[in-house]
Amino acid sequence: MAAGIRLAGMKSFMATETMVQMHEWLAVLTGSMVQAALLVFVWVWAPGLLAYALVGALSYSVFLVGQRVLNEAAYIRVDHKLNELYHASPMSPESYFLGMSTGILLAYLPPVAFLAILLEILHPLGIVAALTLIASLLAVWAFSSALGYGVSTRFRDMKTIWPYSSLLTNLFGIVPPVFYPLFYFESSLRPLALLIPTSSSVALIEKAAGMVSLSPGEVVLGAGSLAAEALLLLAAGIYWARRTAREG
Amino acid sequence: MPYFKQSVSVEALRAENVAKTYHSHGAPVVEALKGVSLKLSRGERIALLGRNGAGKTTFLRISSTLLLPSSGSLEVFGNDVVAHPEKVRPLIAVVPQEGKPFFHLTPRDQVYAYLRARGIDRATAKERAAEALGQMGLDEVADMMTITLSGGQKQRVMVATVIATKAPLLFLDEPTIGMDPFARREVWESMRKLTREGSTILLTTHYLDEAESLSQRLYVIEGGRVLVEGTAASIKQQVGGTLKVSVTDGEKLREQLSTFGEIVSDGGTVNLITGPDRINEIMALAVNAGLAATVGPVTLEEAFLKLVGRSIDEDEG
Ligand SMILES: Nc1ncnc2c1ncn2[C@@H]1O[C@H](COP(=O)(O)OP(=O)(O)OP(=O)(O)O)[C@@H](O)[C@H]1O
Ligand SMILES: [Mg+2]
Repeated sequence: MAAGIRLAGMKSFMATETMVQMHEWLAVLTGSMVQAALLVFVWVWAPGLLAYALVGALSYSVFLVGQRVLNEAAYIRVDHKLNELYHASPMSPESYFLGMSTGILLAYLPPVAFLAILLEILHPLGIVAALTLIASLLAVWAFSSALGYGVSTRFRDMKTIWPYSSLLTNLFGIVPPVFYPLFYFESSLRPLALLIPTSSSVALIEKAAGMVSLSPGEVVLGAGSLAAEALLLLAAGIYWARRTAREG
Repeated sequence: MPYFKQSVSVEALRAENVAKTYHSHGAPVVEALKGVSLKLSRGERIALLGRNGAGKTTFLRISSTLLLPSSGSLEVFGNDVVAHPEKVRPLIAVVPQEGKPFFHLTPRDQVYAYLRARGIDRATAKERAAEALGQMGLDEVADMMTITLSGGQKQRVMVATVIATKAPLLFLDEPTIGMDPFARREVWESMRKLTREGSTILLTTHYLDEAESLSQRLYVIEGGRVLVEGTAASIKQQVGGTLKVSVTDGEKLREQLSTFGEIVSDGGTVNLITGPDRINEIMALAVNAGLAATVGPVTLEEAFLKLVGRSIDEDEG
């Protein structure tokens, strides 16, 4: 499905998107407001759970990066028609999607790094936990960016897009056990939490950091589904990018 | 550019019987193009004219691999547009209708970044960006945030971005919209320069003076079909004369005047489209009736109104 990927022009477009996003630095900051507010609540009401909330804030922040892809892809297509400039060019459609996704990720990395440093101070991570964190967050980013890009291609105006983007963010970022630990989640629903990329990334990171216990079966379920969903969505994103480079 | 060199003999664009029907969700089916055929030789500047909704943008988007046709065939330098868009894309560049540059980049960064994404090396991209911005009269604002530019300046940035590519085939959909008369002439000059250097240009415009001054041939699209095709002069010929006599308050002479050619009214003024042979007789008629009359060339706009108007009447009749 995603065979013969051509990445011509991707690096340049990535740099363009990073530059564009950094000029909107206020958006980068306000993109961290929900996480900051939730961290303050947890700090006040349950300081013992702050490390859990930080892991959640990391996963949520990275999920939001993908939702920025939804907004940016839709905005520059609907309002600016810049997609036409890039699609009618030697740059491949997959470079457009991947360049935009990675470019936005780079711009939004500083708040993520800040949260990671806070976590490291509060609950030092070993090398395994640190690697688990990086791999899990990358998977969440890939999943969310591809989902965001795919959803963005389905709309003709910005107003109809906003509710979907907020629906996705709440569905993946707030409802499942992201900001709160898995052991507070209804136990019969635990497998479900491990199937959702955001909450499974949180469970895997917290397991690797010795903050929650998961059975080997749960680890396999969480890691397997997270990897599979990330790869599947990435392939689908490339497929959507190619298909929508030309309208039907 | 291998495709370009291989195919010296083929046309820049060849479209045959291109049709497009839109089936938008929840909207009536629209037959936007009903079989358009058109040829652009290498180095030509061609304009598509037509009323709003005639199908110009639809045709441009199909030719530039951005929209699938419902039927028909198209080739860009001998490459099949439908089957092999990836072979066509390196050869083209597009100014979309109502496109806008990135607001949070400077014009210089915008042009440079676009050229880089197209695989042009750093030094060349930098040089071409400066050149294109200069040609579009954007030197003074080249390093300001684009969001702070005026509407016409933003449009100039779009044109600069695309002409800087020097792509073999350029599609420009209303490139000069919102530009002042000076800026429009700067665009015309850079189009002429590009075609001298070997590029081919297909543009749309609603400014008929622009079409006349800039393009070597015109296609008038009406209702998804090519209504007329030719040079501005040949299209003007088709309305039955190259001269226009305007008689102020000439209603009472309308019947007599109509024996000399076609009448077009404009307020109280009666305009007569005619040839040079009988001008003296017509002027005498007006002067004897004590009316003021002037003679001038038929403009492309008048020819356009006449031809398209005739076609609308026929459709309705
Ligand atoms: N995406 C679309 N879905 C459905 N119908 C469309 C779509 N785009 C254009 N049309 C219809 O196709 C017809 C041709 O539109 P097009 O945009 O090609 O016209 P145009 O000649 O470029 O007009 P203008 O001078 O106003 O730019 C119109 O009737 C329009 O309503
Ligand atoms: Mg149009």
